[in-house]
Amino acid sequence: MTVAESSVLAEQVDLKQRLQNRSLKRFITGVCAVLVVLGALVCAGFFLTPYAPNTPDFLNRLSPPSVAHWFGTDQLGRDVATRLLYGGLWSVGLALLITVFGAIAGTIIGLAAGHFGRVADATLMRVTDSFFAFPELIAAITIAGVLGPSTANMVLALILVGWMRFARLARGLSVDIAHRDFVTQAKLNGLPSRLILWRHILPNIGPSLLVLWTNSWSRTILSISGLSFLGFGVQPPNAEWGAMLLDGKAYMQTAPHLMIFPGLAILVSVLAINLTGDRLRDLLGSGSAT
Amino acid sequence: MLLVDNLEMAIGGKPILDDVSFAVEQGQTLCIAGESGSGKSSLLKAINGLMPARFDRLCFRPQTHREITHEGQWHGKPGLRGSRWVMQDPIAALNPKLTLGRSIGESIYSKKPNAADLASATATALADVELPPAMAERKPSEVSLGQAQRACLARALIARPTLIFFDEPLSALDAIVQKQIAATMKRIQERYRITFVIVTHDLGFAAAFADQMLVLRNGKVEAYQPAQSFFEAQASRYCVDLVDAARDLGSLPQAAEGARNQAEVSL
Amino acid sequence: MTIRTFRLSGPLGSLAKRLSGLMAVLFGVSFITFTMTYFAPGDKAAAIAHARYPETQSFPPEILEGIREEFSLNEPFLVQFFQWLSRFVQGDFGNSFASNVPVWDVFAANITETLTLTAVSLVIGLAAAFCLSAVSVWRPGSLADRLAVALASIGAAMPNYWLGLLLILLFAAHLNWLPAYGTGTPAHIVLPAVTLAFWITASQTRLLRAFFLEAKSAPYIETLRLRGVSESEIFWRHVMRHAAVPALTMIGLDVAALLEGTVIVELTFARGGVGSLLAGAVLSRDYPMILFLVMFFALVYVLINSLIEIIQDALDPKASLLGAAGPAVGKEARL
Repeated sequence: MTVAESSVLAEQVDLKQRLQNRSLKRFITGVCAVLVVLGALVCAGFFLTPYAPNTPDFLNRLSPPSVAHWFGTDQLGRDVATRLLYGGLWSVGLALLITVFGAIAGTIIGLAAGHFGRVADATLMRVTDSFFAFPELIAAITIAGVLGPSTANMVLALILVGWMRFARLARGLSVDIAHRDFVTQAKLNGLPSRLILWRHILPNIGPSLLVLWTNSWSRTILSISGLSFLGFGVQPPNAEWGAMLLDGKAYMQTAPHLMIFPGLAILVSVLAINLTGDRLRDLLGSGSAT
Repeated sequence: MLLVDNLEMAIGGKPILDDVSFAVEQGQTLCIAGESGSGKSSLLKAINGLMPARFDRLCFRPQTHREITHEGQWHGKPGLRGSRWVMQDPIAALNPKLTLGRSIGESIYSKKPNAADLASATATALADVELPPAMAERKPSEVSLGQAQRACLARALIARPTLIFFDEPLSALDAIVQKQIAATMKRIQERYRITFVIVTHDLGFAAAFADQMLVLRNGKVEAYQPAQSFFEAQASRYCVDLVDAARDLGSLPQAAEGARNQAEVSL
Repeated sequence: MTIRTFRLSGPLGSLAKRLSGLMAVLFGVSFITFTMTYFAPGDKAAAIAHARYPETQSFPPEILEGIREEFSLNEPFLVQFFQWLSRFVQGDFGNSFASNVPVWDVFAANITETLTLTAVSLVIGLAAAFCLSAVSVWRPGSLADRLAVALASIGAAMPNYWLGLLLILLFAAHLNWLPAYGTGTPAHIVLPAVTLAFWITASQTRLLRAFFLEAKSAPYIETLRLRGVSESEIFWRHVMRHAAVPALTMIGLDVAALLEGTVIVELTFARGGVGSLLAGAVLSRDYPMILFLVMFFALVYVLINSLIEIIQDALDPKASLLGAAGPAVGKEARL
């Protein structure tokens, strides 16, 4: 009987799904492999570099790229390659922390809005809309500036303006999924609502949130370096990529490497995260809730 | 064992169901027929407390659980304990992220079974619906529609319900699979003596199962009578048209007498 | 059961619903903005005093107390908030702490710079995006298409302050063709406008391409193709008409990113304009100016967004659904 049922159609569905699952798995494995290699290289860099990121060396000011200084030195004689390495911690690492925090907070708020009744929904979503009305970077400049330019205040500002997209997406998708038949079944079968949220709703909105998160991560890298470039973020002498650009701006004619390499670092990391996110969205596309 | 007395429902002032009453006995089958938009599915939702409705009395007496009586309107959480519901679209009714085995096992969540009991119960349920045990490991996207609908049936069966609601259980499937699943349903009903309440627009399918027929039209009961007499002689013009249309389409045999038995043969 | 409830429905109803939502959001916006400055560190009375008497170094407590009385700085938070809000709604935005002239005058002197920059960039950016996406969808998968997609990806990842610096390095420092910093001659606007336009081009190419591709494979277009209508006529007369307008409205939803880009570009090129004004106000804690500018940005964003949503509703109910479903095409192309 089941043999007869596994008709041609079913097998095609089967095959397509399997192929997609396989390429998704291969993609995730690939991304993990690249991350491991990258992490190893960065760690090796930290241990192997003979230079400290913030120690000046006045004999070697503004020297062009060479064997000793791969990306040259800056106006205080600090090795640009080493500073880029440490700068990555600020730009990419901080952005990672901020967006993870924003994703979790936003998802919780969105789920609460979608599932704890009308009053909670109306209140929370109006609050979300109100926060959403501030262009992210402008709000961040204002908050970070008014509180006083510092890394901590920038982080606070970016957290305050970074959660709304997650809240909106989580609410929209989870309300949609809550009306699906399988959730109705779970309700009829007597599952408690926290288990329904955890087992049925979250796994189905997870992929979309993940895609949004990659997008949000790359935007936050741009925001952090932008704020630092404008003087509202990470402060000198710390080696953040945007702050390095700000330092290098004055020497652009005599030492263009000071502004080329940090900018390239931002561009490449943002581009890599964006492309990964795009590919992830394509692969998850038909399988996920969106 | 299931009794619904004078149920009415309105959405935004527009009546959806009006004065619907019926009763089903243990082990019997009630088929609710009618064209789309006649309120069939809303009726199932109202009985299970998923849509607000008013009624004089709703009473469910399963052998395994305490009797449930609601008067006036539904109180408490949706779902009649001791009953299960098989839905129309099996893919929509299964969580795409869970394996079939977990979806099936979730149906007896409230009994808090241990892992071994859960595994053996799942295996029995899969065997009852003629699915190989390996299906428990598959995701809904990796099985055919028919297999998915069998899994939904297994999810209902694992709870050992005394009543199963079916909402158009076959209409998402193609003709061959329809027949196979209908046969499985039949076997299951005979083996476990489960009461069926089946919503369908397919009179041929209804004829094969029904002990009682309830025909809805625009939210009102058009006919409520034993299936035998319904297929022999229809009470109203509308029912005559309905049965004639089914005969013309070939889903019901042309001859009127012994409709139920013949339909069973044709299954 | 014949109780008839008054229900909002139809286009008027949805407009009313939108307006009430808008009012709630505007209230929320002003509340958040005010809270932000209220709880900012530092003595506001001292800031005002410094603005009034720039020569004096320190002030006796009586003067500070007098200022607190005058600006109701001793009132409870909510009283201050509603006083500020009612003045704001009536168009009284207060005087700048820094220059002691009305905030509105300073703003009006700077807004034209910003508007010019935005308008010029929009024209360049949209024209380029249109050409690129038209070439791109002509033969999807071709070299031109791939180049356009690559350019759009790079543009979305490009920090625009860095692009600005590179342009300055090349065209101002090395070639000496164009002035780098400041405002004044029309030549001053070229580099900033190109910088901002690059981002617009990148994000809009992505969007337009997606819309064109979708429109090209729509069932009624297939029908036209079967009827033998030529591919160029299909593109110019049908795809364009059905995809261009909805796609262009999407940039309205992206107005936040446009405002952000404008601010950054203005600061990068040391131009006048509201962006520079905001940065200056923030650094000197010029609270009336900060309040006004943040409210201005939020209002522009909220109003344009609502306007676009209404236009999209009128154009095609489906388009607004697409907008609401967001991440697929809309929001993700941002920045």
